[in-house]
Amino acid sequence: MLKLRLIPVLTYNGFALVKTKSFGKNPRMVGNPIQAARVFNSRKVDELVFTDIFATRQSRKLNLNVVEKVINECFMPVSIGGNVSNLEDINDLLKIGADKVVINSNAFHDSFINKAADMFGESTIILSVDILIESKKKFILLSGKKYPLENYIDKIKNYNYGELFLTSVNNEGTQQGFDIDLFNFFYESVDKPIIFNGGAGNLNHFYDLFSKTKIEAVASSSIFYFTQYNPDDIKKEIKKIRNNVRL
Amino acid sequence: MKNILILDYGMGNIASVKKAIKKLGYHSIVSDHISLNENYDCIILPGVGSFKTAMQNIKKNKTDCILKELVVKRNQKILGICLGMQLLAEYGDEPVLSEGLGLINGHVKKMTLKPNRLPHVGWNNVVVNNSKFNSFHNKDFYFIHSYSFVVEDKLDVMMSVHVDDKEFTAAVNRNNIYGTQFHPEKSQDFGLDLLKNIIDAKT
Repeated sequence: MLKLRLIPVLTYNGFALVKTKSFGKNPRMVGNPIQAARVFNSRKVDELVFTDIFATRQSRKLNLNVVEKVINECFMPVSIGGNVSNLEDINDLLKIGADKVVINSNAFHDSFINKAADMFGESTIILSVDILIESKKKFILLSGKKYPLENYIDKIKNYNYGELFLTSVNNEGTQQGFDIDLFNFFYESVDKPIIFNGGAGNLNHFYDLFSKTKIEAVASSSIFYFTQYNPDDIKKEIKKIRNNVRL
Repeated sequence: MKNILILDYGMGNIASVKKAIKKLGYHSIVSDHISLNENYDCIILPGVGSFKTAMQNIKKNKTDCILKELVVKRNQKILGICLGMQLLAEYGDEPVLSEGLGLINGHVKKMTLKPNRLPHVGWNNVVVNNSKFNSFHNKDFYFIHSYSFVVEDKLDVMMSVHVDDKEFTAAVNRNNIYGTQFHPEKSQDFGLDLLKNIIDAKT
């Protein structure tokens, strides 16, 4: 039976791991990416995601030296993102051992994501979308600017890629729980495996999400830095309602 | 010292395989060159991407012919991982019908899943059909694929995996020929153990 996945996310600012709140300014420093990767590897997590969340806005490229050290700590799959804008970038990441590459804003430039999937195989490519809700309307954030989601949803449905990494901007970093309606909206709209990210602060939040949706993969960050819970605690909680947990 | 070759034919994640083998305490060589003058203990065929492109790459420099000579006639061990395992088949459909290496009889076809979605991605437990590998029965390994190897002779299926209510090939073995659909190099301790078992297996 295919197991559901719990995926820690490491967000990097070019120097250190940082944690934002609803993508706000002044993120908190939360540590060193290589040490964090080592800890998550020793905890046998299902997968790891590492993204440089400021690379696109600051027109920087990923620091491949750091990325390689992060990957070298991991004997589970690692997905890497941060201003991935051309095929060369993807090739560079795969060469140093990335399993999957996360593409966010750049996915929509000339349908770059389709070219990436053609070249490296759909399952290597993760489309990451950041969704902001204001006055009940959904917006997608691209390079820090917001656009109505309705102009992009067909692309998200039809592009070629392996998985959708969906972040709720409103809930991200708040530790106030998941936006279950947002997940369900995307689950109905998009026919790909979805990794849902943003909002977890305690075990109840996971119980809620897994009992009210058909979710198979969840990503989290703050809960690992700011609470006593580790990945196994969360999985044991999920195991109360779902059988397919890898412990 | 074992002579382990990781064949670099321009497709996919070679660094992880090399890292895993190093972790096991073995030395390996990554190269796009394979030689009839070598005596390999294990030839590893990694790979991510499309079947057709992979075969086109392997046919350059007649690597496919050298592989067949070493594996079929000289009994040298080969291990295909993910796409590398699929290439052992006679045919593959990704994205259009193309010929594979034909080391194990069968055809690689697109999967259909419901309610699960493609790709089949994540950790899944395997059913082991080969007594040499019984210790891996029911262990979880990391899968990521949308095509699956439909093997002609059931005896060649070393492990299988269930998604929804369907059964798919998880690993193949015939004599000195091995292949895993999942990524042992990405499957933590049991993955590394399996890799070691295959590398150490007598042919």
